[in-house]
Amino acid sequence: MWKKVFLALFRIAAIMLLAGFLGGTLIRVAPGFAFDERQLNSSLSAQSIQAIRQARLADADILHYYVRYLGAFTHGDMGMSQTLNQPVRDLLRDRLPATLRNLAWAVGLAWVLGLALAAASQLTGSRVMTFIGEGLSGTFISTPAAVLALVFLLLRFPPQFAPALLVFPKIYRYCHNLLRQSYALPHVLTARARGASGLRVLIWHVLPTMLPQVLALFGVSVSLALTALLPIEVICDVAGIGQLAWQAAEGRDLTLLVGLTLVVTLLSVSANTFSDLARETLLRGKA
Amino acid sequence: MKLARIIAGTILLLAAAGALGARYLAPAGYEQQFRESLDAPPSAQHLLGTDDLGRDRLARLLFGTRISLLLAPLAAAIATALAAFIGGIAGYFGGWVERCTLLIVDLFLAIPWLFLLITVRAVLPLNLSPESSVAITFLLLGFLGWAASARVVCAGTRDLMQSEFAWLARAAGFSGFKFLRVHLLPNLRGTLLAQFWISVPVFIIAEANLGAMGLGVSEPLPSLGSLVGELQNAVVLHPHPWQFVPLIVLVVVISCFQTLMNKFEVRA
Amino acid sequence: MKRILPVWAACLVAASLLPQTHPAQSGGELRLCIFSEPVTFHPLLADEISSETVRYLTAGVLLRVDRVTQKPEPGLASSWKVLDGGKRIHFSLRSGLRFSDGTPFSASDVAYTVQQLMDPALHSPTGDAFRSSSAQVLTRVVSPTEIDLMFSAPVAGLADLFDTVAILSAQSPQKEMAVLGPFYVAEHKAGAYILLKRNPYYWKKDQAGRQLPYLDSVRLDIQANDEIQALRYSRGEIHMINKVAPGVYDKLAGDGVAVQDAGVTTDTEQIWFNQSPTAPIPDYKRAWFASANFRRAVSEAINRADVARIAFHQHASPAIGVVSPANRFWFNSKLKPHPYDPASALHRLQEAGFRMDNGVLRDNGGHEVEFSIIGKAGDEARQQTAALIQQDLKKIGMKVNIVPLDMHAVIERITGTFNYEACILGLTNATLDPNTQMNIWLSSAEMHQWNPQQKSPATSWEAEIDHLMRALASSADDHKRKQYWDRVQEIAWEQEPFIYLVNKHALVAIAPTVKNAQPSALFPQTFWNVEQLSLTH
Repeated sequence: MWKKVFLALFRIAAIMLLAGFLGGTLIRVAPGFAFDERQLNSSLSAQSIQAIRQARLADADILHYYVRYLGAFTHGDMGMSQTLNQPVRDLLRDRLPATLRNLAWAVGLAWVLGLALAAASQLTGSRVMTFIGEGLSGTFISTPAAVLALVFLLLRFPPQFAPALLVFPKIYRYCHNLLRQSYALPHVLTARARGASGLRVLIWHVLPTMLPQVLALFGVSVSLALTALLPIEVICDVAGIGQLAWQAAEGRDLTLLVGLTLVVTLLSVSANTFSDLARETLLRGKA
Repeated sequence: MKLARIIAGTILLLAAAGALGARYLAPAGYEQQFRESLDAPPSAQHLLGTDDLGRDRLARLLFGTRISLLLAPLAAAIATALAAFIGGIAGYFGGWVERCTLLIVDLFLAIPWLFLLITVRAVLPLNLSPESSVAITFLLLGFLGWAASARVVCAGTRDLMQSEFAWLARAAGFSGFKFLRVHLLPNLRGTLLAQFWISVPVFIIAEANLGAMGLGVSEPLPSLGSLVGELQNAVVLHPHPWQFVPLIVLVVVISCFQTLMNKFEVRA
Repeated sequence: MKRILPVWAACLVAASLLPQTHPAQSGGELRLCIFSEPVTFHPLLADEISSETVRYLTAGVLLRVDRVTQKPEPGLASSWKVLDGGKRIHFSLRSGLRFSDGTPFSASDVAYTVQQLMDPALHSPTGDAFRSSSAQVLTRVVSPTEIDLMFSAPVAGLADLFDTVAILSAQSPQKEMAVLGPFYVAEHKAGAYILLKRNPYYWKKDQAGRQLPYLDSVRLDIQANDEIQALRYSRGEIHMINKVAPGVYDKLAGDGVAVQDAGVTTDTEQIWFNQSPTAPIPDYKRAWFASANFRRAVSEAINRADVARIAFHQHASPAIGVVSPANRFWFNSKLKPHPYDPASALHRLQEAGFRMDNGVLRDNGGHEVEFSIIGKAGDEARQQTAALIQQDLKKIGMKVNIVPLDMHAVIERITGTFNYEACILGLTNATLDPNTQMNIWLSSAEMHQWNPQQKSPATSWEAEIDHLMRALASSADDHKRKQYWDRVQEIAWEQEPFIYLVNKHALVAIAPTVKNAQPSALFPQTFWNVEQLSLTH
């Protein structure tokens, strides 16, 4: 057990390192890295513009940059944000709690909504229920995050609930199909034929069959929720990492972007690793 | 359900006919600017009114639907095929193959691909036609959008590998690609089709968002995604019912496809 | 008693008939939004709108340009004299002033500030603006309230320059956070807001002798989205919007919410063609862009009135040239707007060897006239402008491809790789004096955007502009300088290296609860007189 946990942590750390490096490389290679909006300021002299360029090119060698970054990282120093002129560690420490709270809400609500709609549709066998589920999931998956965020603001709804509406359609779709598949399995049909109640069949026979795939989907839903949450944070002015990410991308702030990549990687890989471990434990238990 | 499928099929045929016959149904075209009729309400001349630049909304909807509904399913098919292949191989072999694949998948999910897309735009010629630009965008989305569902496919495959029929099939001598094709993939149909139908609207919306990087459609060509994206302004500034028609069309078309395909998603 | 009451009543009636000045009430928190987190709180390094907003609200300056009259007014300096043909300026400073932390203010703080400003290692934009006029600035502290500034060359446009120089304290332990302005930075929550509180030592008093500012505090919320700012304003959550987007303006006005068009600004929107000899574009395209007839034809084919009406919702005016009419002194009033005349445009193109071939314009080599215009993505008005231009130029057979890119990619192309054909961008003119445009009009300059950093002027008209700009920079006589700058405007009008499209209007929103607001077309449009603003309860 401890060996598995240790290996999982090692895996997370390895992916974080690789993601940070590859992400930093992509940022470095993308056009406009060495350029800054300040260069368009006609008041600046040629020397000042050159100094701005040199400051950006100081991190040009991505390998050296990353080695230096990791060395400082081991001392808890995540560097200085060029666009915001503040330590990245402080920025993340101030913003991360808001994002984590909103992420928890988004994932939780998305699962409740997705599973509830899928289960209601399957349990009742009602076409109306299926129609409602399909309609709602189709509507929200086709709505841009920005539009939904603005609607929430207009209606004064808490913006942290908007990502749930964007993620639940995917959960609904998968769970709906999984439920239908599971209800068609021989042992489930047998249980129903023997007179087991709908709820009993669902809890004791269907859900255990679905659980491995549901756990896999859980891990992925965290990434999906994070992807949906970040633009909503920007639009709704939530002081989370979404705002930071937007400003960092606009300003090609390498240090801040690498820091954000590490954090986002940690969150999504941790969720996936957790779901992998849970699945393995479940499958071993079954065996 | 049969009635529902008939209705869905009819709606889809109408949508297809409308998109293909856009040139005849909206002879003004999607780019002509009626500069004296800006943001006009629906009328005999402009059935869905005009946009901020005086362009006929119906024409833009028909042409935009054609482009998006042709290319988005293609991109979704690419993403689904990649997810099936990579997730299927990982689940089939298990062990270190599965672990390495999932590591790559997690890495893929973590990397900020935004900067790759910016780089791709830099490499493309500036005078690229809007049609080529949108086609390349959807292609990119297809090749980058497989990772999340590969995980789910892998989990599903691992699960199936433990099932009775899989043991029986292997005992009967099925292995490798034949086993995947004949036994595993059909049983993963539900998962794969779910992935496909989720990807179509997601890619349509994503294509519009990529306009900020110079990818996606460029003026004056519309896409369904860019028309839905215009709601961002409309919602706060001047919400009119006819501005929501592109969103309604997208929802209805996707729902109709799902209704038609429901029959094939799960097989007892 | 019987006589007193009617007298009192008469006095009250008389008082009520006097012109009412707004009864300024002390207290209250003014709320507005800034687009993004300020990059720096160091006033000498402020280089973008958010940092400049904080600087404006907290800085004490020697003199301040009145945004309505466009004339300099005394600030920390009660008076000044320009001597020795513009090479020396003598400031008489107000006495008994203190920084926000209580540190006394004196002439040595001005000397310290100038020393910091002129340090080339600091790379201050304001310092660079000084250095472009005079390589060296020396200071001589005559007394605690008198100081001389000596320049190596005559310096013009002093009012504009000193309006942005925030005086720093040489002694305060708070360094640049100790300020002389009406407010100081009290609280900063990263990504959320900045709270500025009243500076208890602020030097200014109103006509009745009351301490300014009237407000207790100013809260700057960080809000990037125009629509959300408008929503918050209409809900009464903020008191002002300094820059309202045209579409948002119409919505607010339609809803009966208080908004104002403060008139034409000094900002311009323009497109230009890439004339750089090292640009990786085909030679035949380079030849098109280098042709004045081609550029004039494109200019005449663009319907500027439609751009102003449609893309800017009638809140812009067709541009005439380099300088906006809002810049009253420096605008060349003899110049007339370029006409919208597609027929004339085609005639010019024919003169330049182009011909129409089944609705497609071709050059004398048979090449179809097709080019791309790059611009910053996400700016709705600019994207609509580009779409309108695309259709206008289609009428004269040109095919235009609009390529919105992220800003860094645009900057790389226009300043680094020169891999572009045409570009659409705007220029924000924060100051009125033409000296600040030296880096645009000198052919050797970095920002001579159509063909930067020339070793020698590529054309005779650029050589003439170089000569005029140098003469303008070295003269302290504003009337002579105006003649030079007028001639630069004429040349730019004829040659059109920049095709100026529109001058935007200053669209502002000021809630009725804010008193004494006098919106201006110059930054900061709504709160340039923040010390006099008050809130009614």
